[in-house]
Amino acid sequence: MSFDDKKHIRGQVLALKSFKKSRHLNCFADCSKTVSLAFRRCGANMTLAKQTLELWRGTMKEVGGKFGTGVLSYFKFLKWLLMFNIFSFLVNFGFITIPQLIYHPTPDIPAGVSFKGLEILTGAGYFSHTVMYYGGYSNKTQGTGGRSEYNMQLAYFFTVAAYMVLCGAALIYSMASSFRKKYVLADSGLGGAWQLLCSWDFSVTNEKAVRQRKNNLRIQLKESLSEKVQVALLPLTERLKHYGVFLGTWLLSTGMALGCGASVYFLFSGSLLEEAATLLLPFVVSLINLVVPLFYSLFKKIEHYSNPRMQVYAIIVRNVILKMSILGILCYYWMKDVANTFSCWESIVGQALYRLVIMDFLFIMLGSFFGEFLSNVIGTKCIQSLGVPEFDVARNVLDLIYAQTLAWIGIYFSPLLPVIQIIKFFILFYLKKVSLTQNCQPPRRAGRAAQMQTIFIAILFFPSFVGALSMVAYTVWTLPPSDKCGPFRGLNTTFSAIQIWMDDLNRVDAFQWTVWIYQHVIRSEIFYFLVSLIILVFIYIFRQITQGRQLLIILLRQQIVNVSSSELSGPTCLVHQSCCVRSGCVYVMMLLKCRSNIFS
Amino acid sequence: MGNKQTIFTDEQFEAYQDCTFFTRKEILQLHGRFHELAPHLVPLDYTNQPDIRLPLALIVSMPELKENPFRNRIVEVFSEDGQGNLSFNDFVDMFSALCETAPRELKTIYAFKIYDFNVDNFLCKEDLEKTLNRLTKGELTPEEVNLVCSKAMEEADLDGDSKLSFSDFENMISKAPDFLSTFHLRI
Repeated sequence: MSFDDKKHIRGQVLALKSFKKSRHLNCFADCSKTVSLAFRRCGANMTLAKQTLELWRGTMKEVGGKFGTGVLSYFKFLKWLLMFNIFSFLVNFGFITIPQLIYHPTPDIPAGVSFKGLEILTGAGYFSHTVMYYGGYSNKTQGTGGRSEYNMQLAYFFTVAAYMVLCGAALIYSMASSFRKKYVLADSGLGGAWQLLCSWDFSVTNEKAVRQRKNNLRIQLKESLSEKVQVALLPLTERLKHYGVFLGTWLLSTGMALGCGASVYFLFSGSLLEEAATLLLPFVVSLINLVVPLFYSLFKKIEHYSNPRMQVYAIIVRNVILKMSILGILCYYWMKDVANTFSCWESIVGQALYRLVIMDFLFIMLGSFFGEFLSNVIGTKCIQSLGVPEFDVARNVLDLIYAQTLAWIGIYFSPLLPVIQIIKFFILFYLKKVSLTQNCQPPRRAGRAAQMQTIFIAILFFPSFVGALSMVAYTVWTLPPSDKCGPFRGLNTTFSAIQIWMDDLNRVDAFQWTVWIYQHVIRSEIFYFLVSLIILVFIYIFRQITQGRQLLIILLRQQIVNVSSSELSGPTCLVHQSCCVRSGCVYVMMLLKCRSNIFS
Repeated sequence: MGNKQTIFTDEQFEAYQDCTFFTRKEILQLHGRFHELAPHLVPLDYTNQPDIRLPLALIVSMPELKENPFRNRIVEVFSEDGQGNLSFNDFVDMFSALCETAPRELKTIYAFKIYDFNVDNFLCKEDLEKTLNRLTKGELTPEEVNLVCSKAMEEADLDGDSKLSFSDFENMISKAPDFLSTFHLRI
């Protein structure tokens, strides 16, 4: 349908609507159409507003034009994470830091502590008394009595809680929509028809890149033509050997991950507080994160997965286990030992996170240098057979996820950590772009970038965000805040601030409903139990419906094949058959509608 | 945005926003690109909807299309006369169908039309062979081309009539989730 046809139809619809409006007929259908049109226009306006702060559009177009959609997905992911941090910064700065700065413009720094350059790396010293960390915030209700009061405790708690909830909602929404768009009903291999018709990347615009892709496609087609049919089942001894190798490598990789975690724990139990020595822990953690994945990629040589995609999944899972176990050990140490030992322990944890973030940044830069620049030099000048390196999207995205996990854990302990994260991601974008254009070549195999996207968002949600959220929730719910610093000093737990607020509200008659909601909904276990039960029932019902529909689709597909091969007639008999099958007719009707749209 | 631009009326903007997936800013950008293809032919003022069509040769000289193996077919599919002469509306339509937010069904329909070289609403073996030649720039031998196309036809042809109808094509696309992101022209 051409644009002019669409405009013509739109004109007719609008004319009909205004005609109907003047005759007051069928108000409900008109209302619903007007509402949907209003939503669509509103959505367009919001997209327009979002585009005014369009960041890096030209750069991303250039990268996409030269390297294709797979590599571009890394940069889009980076930009998306940057948006989370910008939002976090705005919220924290606006609601927590600015009131603190208004009422206490100069931080009370003890005598003898001045700004030395080392603070930028260690985060301790001068910074530990400023608004950078939890300890720099007061616990008083600011402002004069009466109307203009600002309760720092409630502000701190609700800002962090609101940010986490919004982040969680955004992640769940992205994960669900990505899964819906990219879900495949039956997993077909990368066959000939796919290579021919679906694999060409239309967004590649650079001449050299296009030539290279055509070359790669030609090589792949020749390979797939000359492939012999693989033996379906290997003999039993071979299969046992493969399973043995898998078991060995998985045990080894998990063992290495746990071993690194334990060594980090014992390292931590050593000396802690001399300033330069505090850099040792983040250095070791980042070194482990850089070196151990290289070991994991060596396992590729001895394992034989039937599907190359399983190999990528295996690497991803191993890396995630490694990073999350190290973070888990660190969090355990902070919650158990640091919380009991130091007086202003939240600031100590904040400083540790700051150092981890900075050191991670330095190591990513180093990794880019060794991984990409040196590989390029070695591949082109020394060992010609290796060739120019490819950009490893999976490893880089996992690094980003790790960096974001650190930022999410640090939200409670260091409200201004997002600033560091924003600067880090900004520099990282340009660094990776330069490294990419100078050192890497476009990927040789057009892979399953879309499904990898879904997996990355899922990893960002499940171990990363949920882990950070549970740690912050545990801190807020159970751990006693330090008595000498921070907005929650003197309370039993951070959550008691809410309890106190509810008691205050109880005395005012107008807010009794809020207190009722708090006592009977938020604090009652029966409510959560009932909600969980209802959700489980719904999940079960929807799963049964989904399975029934999948079966129906298989049957209908078979019917299409049977009917067309038996009669070789037009669409009429398909229509007749599908009328008998009620819920599946949506599928067939859609096929027919599209067919008739093309033919008309 | 304080300046009053007089390229399109508000009504025209609303029409564009409703019929395509673009916002005002993108429509103006597209108009800028259309204008710079032929500054003498394309007027800066579109309020009275002039009927200017640009020939195929000018359109495929755009950097987004210059290196694309299917550039001629893409422009022909979106032109009204089938010869590749695009008016501004067709130009906007083309980029809208190939933009990021266009739904999969729309992209599938247009992909099918693009690969259908002889415009008979089926992808027959000749269409597949022409597609393959565009993609490999004629570096495969004729036997190899034949083999690849026969294999592709076997895999995708569900109803066994040795040509791919739209539903066969759609079925194949539904197994390729990357299609949404690779079938995409960035403006």
